[in-house]
Amino acid sequence: MTFQVEFQAVVLAAGKGSRISEITTTKPKCLLPVGPMPLVWYPLYKLEQAGFTDVILVILEHQKSEIQSALEKTGIEIRIEYATIAENEELGTADSLRMLYDRLKSDVMVVSCDFVSDVDLHGLFNLFRMHDASIASLLLHPQQSEASVVPGPKSKHKMERDLIAIDQQTSRLVFLASASDFESELTLPRSLLKKHTNIKMYSNLIDSHIYLLKKWVIKYLKSEDSFSSIKGELIPHIVKKQLSKPPKTAEPRESIVSPKDSGDIFAYAKEDDLDLAIREASAYNDHIGDLKPAYHQDTIRCYAYVAPKDTFGARVNTLMNYWSVSGKIIDHWEKITDGKELVLKHPDATICSTQVDNKCVIWDGVNLKEKTSFKNCVIATNTEVNSFSRIFNSIVMNNVTIKEKVAIENCIICDGAIIENGCKLKGCIVGSYHTVEEDSEHTSEVLTESDRLMEF
Amino acid sequence: MLRKESQMVHKENIVQAIVLTDTFDDEFLPISEHLPHALLPVFNRPLIDYTLEFLSLGGIEETFLFSSAHVEAVKRYVNKCIENGEGWTLTMKVNVMVSESCRSFGDCLRDLDAKGVLRGEFVLLEPGTVSNVDLLPLLKKHNITTKSDKGCAMTLILQESAIRGIGRCPHEELLVATDSHSKLLFYKKLGSSKDNKLEFPLEIFLDNASVSLHHNLNDTHMAICSSSVLPLFSDNFDFQTKDDFVRGLLMNEEILGSTVYCHILKGNQFAGSITNWRMYQALSYELRNNWVHPLIPSTKRNRKLKNDVFIGEGTKISETAELNDAVLGDDVALGKNVRIEDSFVFSNTKIGDNVVITHSIIGEHCTIQSGSEITSGSILENGCVLEKDTFVKNSLLVAKIPDNYENGDKLADKAYRLRIFPDEDDNISINELDRKLSRLDIGDFNYESDEIEDAFSDSGDEQLSYTQTPPPDDTKLFYTEVIDSLTRGLEDKLPCDNLILEINSSRYAYNVILKEVNFNIVKAVLILSLRQPETTQYFGNLSRVLTYFAPVLKNYIRNESAMKDCLEAIQDVAVSSESLHEKCVTFILQYFYHKDYISEDAILNWFSTLTTSSKLYKQVKPFTDWLKEAEEESGEEESEQ
Repeated sequence: MTFQVEFQAVVLAAGKGSRISEITTTKPKCLLPVGPMPLVWYPLYKLEQAGFTDVILVILEHQKSEIQSALEKTGIEIRIEYATIAENEELGTADSLRMLYDRLKSDVMVVSCDFVSDVDLHGLFNLFRMHDASIASLLLHPQQSEASVVPGPKSKHKMERDLIAIDQQTSRLVFLASASDFESELTLPRSLLKKHTNIKMYSNLIDSHIYLLKKWVIKYLKSEDSFSSIKGELIPHIVKKQLSKPPKTAEPRESIVSPKDSGDIFAYAKEDDLDLAIREASAYNDHIGDLKPAYHQDTIRCYAYVAPKDTFGARVNTLMNYWSVSGKIIDHWEKITDGKELVLKHPDATICSTQVDNKCVIWDGVNLKEKTSFKNCVIATNTEVNSFSRIFNSIVMNNVTIKEKVAIENCIICDGAIIENGCKLKGCIVGSYHTVEEDSEHTSEVLTESDRLMEF
Repeated sequence: MLRKESQMVHKENIVQAIVLTDTFDDEFLPISEHLPHALLPVFNRPLIDYTLEFLSLGGIEETFLFSSAHVEAVKRYVNKCIENGEGWTLTMKVNVMVSESCRSFGDCLRDLDAKGVLRGEFVLLEPGTVSNVDLLPLLKKHNITTKSDKGCAMTLILQESAIRGIGRCPHEELLVATDSHSKLLFYKKLGSSKDNKLEFPLEIFLDNASVSLHHNLNDTHMAICSSSVLPLFSDNFDFQTKDDFVRGLLMNEEILGSTVYCHILKGNQFAGSITNWRMYQALSYELRNNWVHPLIPSTKRNRKLKNDVFIGEGTKISETAELNDAVLGDDVALGKNVRIEDSFVFSNTKIGDNVVITHSIIGEHCTIQSGSEITSGSILENGCVLEKDTFVKNSLLVAKIPDNYENGDKLADKAYRLRIFPDEDDNISINELDRKLSRLDIGDFNYESDEIEDAFSDSGDEQLSYTQTPPPDDTKLFYTEVIDSLTRGLEDKLPCDNLILEINSSRYAYNVILKEVNFNIVKAVLILSLRQPETTQYFGNLSRVLTYFAPVLKNYIRNESAMKDCLEAIQDVAVSSESLHEKCVTFILQYFYHKDYISEDAILNWFSTLTTSSKLYKQVKPFTDWLKEAEEESGEEESEQ
């Protein structure tokens, strides 16, 4: 007998990292080093902490072995079931979920692979359970951003802002759209304001891309081929549908059995008759202000859980976020992992240097020669740093070779790069397998093979 | 104690309030003809009495009553109160100020600015406000706000209220957006507008991390004002009402350098304003139900009377009278078998036998003879006399012959129907219609409260507003709007640029896609152009109209796909109107072609999609044949060169 779990977790890690193409040309985004662990480890560990024993990890086919071996090294205990997508298939997040349809039997928790946070997920679960919600999403207040110089050419970081409206009384998510969809005016249906008389419109909240989806939402998604993105299409659509009333049908429809022919969301969003009867008999109401029954008799209910203000959390989807999360990860380590031991210097690393400060993270197989100096940096697997070099405030990825007398400050060095003798790099991004010539000096540049540059 | 606290707020100043006593509208006609708004009896006590009592309880020490109509009566009443030592006279000084030249709320404030009697922050009350709010904490809060924001001119006092609650005037449905410090960002009275969409400027959301949108608020018609308010009114002579003021400040925040904040009343604090008969009734009910405690109706509840009936002194009720939700003034004489429901009868009125009064207001000293029936929001002026068996429904009655008297208005020697906007038929704006309706609310008010009780069955209009957000026939509405715009443009010879602007705004209002815009505009132009009498100059007229609309057409038919839409529109018109002159289609096509609205290729492509058996095909065929020939010729010419 198999026990049906309450939630099934899906981690979406098939993103190509198109917003940070400078550093993801050859490396899966989910394996970017963040502190002592690859990026995808953080959401997986979060799920493990929350009590999940199984997770479905959606990744690209050709990256599977790389990801698998990287994750094995981290010693994560949660059972990972891999679901792969061929590289050339352009699948959106919703498409990935649709692909998993057969494996999803319960309500689903969708997590993005780039989410690093110390938030307690139980608040979200409880909100979802309490209201028997259709969708619950986790929102975060923006992080205090300190002025740190991000490597690479100076560019104006344009924030992608969402307009998110939440009913103050009921925490219902009543409006969700991207600010860029509007020109100078925002139009709201009057019925929305009539129904939710006091709403708060946020423009600075960060959508964590963590969603709890009721089972019927997956079924509905299966029947609607037009959605390809969860955040961009599916969620806004369902949020909008909250305002609609189900079409009046004379005879009750056998909805779930033959949903295909109806194509109507309300056929999927049907609630259990017993639940309805209980609600009707109960004196509970989720709102005051009008004399409508609980939930306005809506069968579609979307909720938003806004994490407490002091929560640390960010999505590593831009260079700026990657940089700032990497910088803060050590400080927040204890809260993020709930007291897991922080291994700064991997036992398999050969460290002959005496100048490694306690903010550095050294991965396995790293070879740091004598007379080198490190401050506040991450050095990932199998990287070699030769004598008389110093690295400050930087991220160095796997298999990088740094020759002698190199000075690196505020840089991101990607996989397999070779920095020749005497280079001085400041605020640069060195692309993967790029060789920086001897004695060259660069400031605030992206150094990469020109043909790779074409990609972005 | 009060004094001490207030001194903390204003170091040396005393706490001042301004009460305006005139509404400057004719909501209360015909009663307001002889009775100032301030002295309107509410449970047999003048309205102003409640206001003044509230102010003195709220901690105000000096009040200016600003009056511009029926001045003497107000003065007399206030003096009488002072002589009698009414409660509020003990802690509060009341000055009656007079300016008969004022024609609006704004005028009054400008006049007050000129007089310079106010020293610091003050409380501003619009006419008819009744409340039980403690004002001193609000003044203090305003004071703190002004310290952090020097430009803070006004704190509006708004009250949370339930949707469709009786204390919420449907004509003052308010939509407010504030930032996290309660600073007002958006303020709109929806009134009776039926727009399904509400537009907000995007920047208020982008400039602020979070914006609260409130649709559950009620304007209490009270505000705490900084000393800058009066000069602002003086500087901006176009501010006529408080709403003008708030809107003006929001719109020109940078120029005027002033901001508005709001305070939201919650819990047992109550405030409301009698601005029309509907609110008169609503506030009477609220008073009766002790929402405004400690202000309560002066008349004692008579235990023998059931069904929420209140009567004044000296009024006697016979056993046979059937009363429901009625308020009777002093010395009202009732006959036998009288039925009064949901009505207000003022003092000294005589009501004969078998009279029925429902949803109406009867002024003082009226005489209603037996057998009469007064229903549906009728209002009788003081001193009306109704003959036997008169039936009055939904009318305003006055005792004297009104200026615009017409035959049929006379019901009796002392009862005439009052027409309010008789000669302004061409000028009836929505606003006036609206006001007319507000009088009737007293009638449909009960209907509404019935709905509230019956909340589980959704009421009709709620249902409507909850259905699919974009109404499906937006495009149709858009089409009719375009027709309207164009017709008016043609009649009034408006410049086409204006028409284009109008059409564009309707386009956004109804959210119509470009393809449909093109289609509908061409269709509208054609329909209009073809509406000509069938005379010999038919085509002349037709081309005249088309030429007139040329800029419009040019503006919308810009590219290949627009041409396609245009041709589809022509097809649509041609097919749908049977009686169309058969040469019309060819004429229009020719015209459009010559004017270069549509290209040859577009026509030929379109023509190839027509079914060969259709009537249209036959009509168009000669034209396309001609086109093809012309093309060949020009092709030949080119090759010759």
